[in-house]
Amino acid sequence: MNNRQREEYRLLLDGQLPWPQTKNLMSSYKDRDRFFKILEIYQDKVEWDEKILLPIGEHLFIVQKGKQRIVKCSCGHEFGDYRKNWKFQAVLRVRNTVEDLEGIYPHADVCDPSWMEIREFICPGCGTLLEVEACSPGYPITFDFCPDLEGFYSQWLNHPL
Amino acid sequence: MTEANSLNSVLRKRLEESETMLAETGCYDGITTLECRDMDPLKFETIHMKLRAGCVSAREIARRISASPGVREVGEMVAAIYTPEGDAVAISNGIMVHVHTMSRFIKWMIRNDYEHDPGINPGDIFANNDAFIGTVQVPDVMDVVPIFHEGELVGWAGAVCHELEAGGITPGGDVALAQERFGEGLFICAEKIGLNDRIRRDYVIRCERNLRMPIYWILDEQAKVAACFSMRDRVLELIDEIGVDFYKRISKEFIEEGRRTQLARVRQLTVPGTYRSNTFYGHVTKGKPGFQPLGDPDWLYSIPLKMDIELDGKIVVDFEGAQPWGYHSMNCTPAGMDGGMFVTLTQHMNFEGLVNDGAWLATQLKLPRGTWTNPDSEFCATATSWALLLPAYGAFQRMLSRGFLARGFLEEVFVGQVNSPMIEMGGISQYGKPFGIAHFECAAAGSGALAIKDGLDTAYVGWNPESDMGNIEIWELDMPMVYLGRSILPNSGGAGKYRGGNAFMSTWVINKSPEVRIVTSEHSSRVFDNAGMCGGYPAPTCQKHRVVRNSNIYQRVEQRRPLAHSTGLDQNDLEQFYQGNQQIIEGPHIAAPMKEGDIFTHSYNGGGGYGDPLERDPVLVLDDIIQGHSSQIHGERVHGIRFKGTIDDETLEIDFSQTQKTRKRLRTERLQDAVPVMEWYESEKDKVKQGDFSPEVLKMYRAAMDLSEEFAQEFRAFWQLENGFAYPQNEQVDLSNE
Repeated sequence: MNNRQREEYRLLLDGQLPWPQTKNLMSSYKDRDRFFKILEIYQDKVEWDEKILLPIGEHLFIVQKGKQRIVKCSCGHEFGDYRKNWKFQAVLRVRNTVEDLEGIYPHADVCDPSWMEIREFICPGCGTLLEVEACSPGYPITFDFCPDLEGFYSQWLNHPL
Repeated sequence: MTEANSLNSVLRKRLEESETMLAETGCYDGITTLECRDMDPLKFETIHMKLRAGCVSAREIARRISASPGVREVGEMVAAIYTPEGDAVAISNGIMVHVHTMSRFIKWMIRNDYEHDPGINPGDIFANNDAFIGTVQVPDVMDVVPIFHEGELVGWAGAVCHELEAGGITPGGDVALAQERFGEGLFICAEKIGLNDRIRRDYVIRCERNLRMPIYWILDEQAKVAACFSMRDRVLELIDEIGVDFYKRISKEFIEEGRRTQLARVRQLTVPGTYRSNTFYGHVTKGKPGFQPLGDPDWLYSIPLKMDIELDGKIVVDFEGAQPWGYHSMNCTPAGMDGGMFVTLTQHMNFEGLVNDGAWLATQLKLPRGTWTNPDSEFCATATSWALLLPAYGAFQRMLSRGFLARGFLEEVFVGQVNSPMIEMGGISQYGKPFGIAHFECAAAGSGALAIKDGLDTAYVGWNPESDMGNIEIWELDMPMVYLGRSILPNSGGAGKYRGGNAFMSTWVINKSPEVRIVTSEHSSRVFDNAGMCGGYPAPTCQKHRVVRNSNIYQRVEQRRPLAHSTGLDQNDLEQFYQGNQQIIEGPHIAAPMKEGDIFTHSYNGGGGYGDPLERDPVLVLDDIIQGHSSQIHGERVHGIRFKGTIDDETLEIDFSQTQKTRKRLRTERLQDAVPVMEWYESEKDKVKQGDFSPEVLKMYRAAMDLSEEFAQEFRAFWQLENGFAYPQNEQVDLSNE
């Protein structure tokens, strides 16, 4: 990856890439090695050393830690084995009253809290809001994504994991 | 047996053979090598481009014949060319939902022995709007014509228009009050409506006598047939140029290439694995006139989705755990589910190359029988199936986007489509004549955010990638209502680092009419029927209708006093400006007819947000406030911005230092207010076991557990409930409409 491309992708990740270049990225043929280029940029941005294997959220990564593959926040907080739902290791705020909901929705109509609640999954390390679920009370927590990491690396990337 | 029948018997056998070949080889129609492409790739592309150009051109021809503003202005139409077996080879732009629904329609005719009766002959015209045969909803009327070359069937040309009036129990196309098929309007069930290139007069008479506004439907029929003839001519010209055998071979290779491209695109853009999402929809009709007591007036649906991306690139989407179909108009058939999948894929995967039924062959939908996705009663209504389809495929988009994010294609991450509440109306027009119409400005909702920027404001719907609200003046020509305003709805996009696109609202005064019945649909007022992603919030529920009956607006006009053009930020401008009978209506507007001088508002949905709202660039927040996209309170509460100056004297600016401190404090407060998830889990368990929910929520769980043992087992396992746990049938859901 040359410096120009590195800068372009860094700006893309930061939402700073000017629209004409962004549109060009959207409309052009996709670069085949984008994955590794983006990993390189993510790795430069975080302050820890574990190797990033896969981004799974705005702040969440699956990383290699010793023999384990775990979910880690950009702040360094660790959520455990990536095959288990990281949300169980987060902290949670539930908005299930009209007053609480209106905190996020001023001047707008909101759900009926007896039909639906908002669940905010927060990183215990940095207080970043990692995911929001909008679901009925009692609905099981959703496991958003469990990748086939081995298959991805060996069969799609042809690259050792 | 006539010569034609003999020919067409071969057709059904051919369809079965083609399906067997697919099953045996994994390739479309057993096309394991792309000989035409390998021989001359440039010619391969050129020929497909000619066919596609033929489809696009046919659609444009049709739009100029149609009288319907839905087709002319908003482009609610698509045209496509099919193989003899009914597989799409090339398609136009437009409502690509119907590329595969038309495929189902053609295959249905082949399987149901149309070769013998009523026969498939040169010059025939067939039409359909039966979702169980192949469409999404009653107003989606499709026409197909067979393409014969020297007596041999070499393909089909097909076109669909969304009709603005379907003759149902309520006016318009999306017949909101239909609780069974029998209230949905005029059904054309795979009917031969024309011979010798002419639409039958008796068919036209039937349309004239069963629709409130037959001019739309009938001229759309002429438009679609003209489009089909145009595509037929193009195919025959092409056959003259390249030979019939080469055409037959290459048209199949296009589909196989489309299948392979889809698989390759998945492998290129995503990551294999298991993705999950869910969304909800809540319907409120209790107390509204016209409701029939077949089912619950108020109900809640959960819509769980699981997507497996397999190592060969196949996408398998499973709706296990979906709710049962019901006595309402929001059910969907497998054809409609296919349509939703297809139009979504064309936007995210097949935006270049050979877009055709090949993409559909590379995916699989699992639609449990008996659910709203695959009803086991063909009596059920599907007139407003988009109410559930849009949230469902919005969730599908979020799952796909998780894959794009994981693969590094941030520019493709999209929080997804949202619902598009419809207005349907009928009564006496401003010209003193009976009328009926669907108002299609809904084709311009707010889109979900992207991972790199805000969503589009008032410019996107999932069902038509060329979203367009249409010009006010055109709508005013076709309905007895004058716009008082079309306004951005501040704060209507979901909050996030990048906010969802904002919605808009329209405000009208009924004009020059003694009777206008307005019915709206696809409102989910009690639950968010969209979601955010990666820390972004769902967009608010769609703003409720505000109505002023017997308003004094004409007096105000005469007195040259100011008018309210929307409900305003605090949603009370109508009360402040107008005298009259003020009403706030939750959910669909199903009410007594309105008349001249009454004021009506209708709002649309915004999109979900992406990322933590505390990470939003303060400059974007300020810009939103200045532009009227959000309020200052929103910036302060949701984004933690501290301001200096005021918006009124144009001195508003950001206090960056205080903003930084505030955001830090808010993060700390988040952690103080939150509890470990496992602690929450333990505290919830008893509540779940006791079924301590509202009746609608309890009923939702019981229905899903009754219908799906898999869902029931997952639910029990999650909450550590004993084997066989079920909620008793003793909850008090009020089925009356009191």
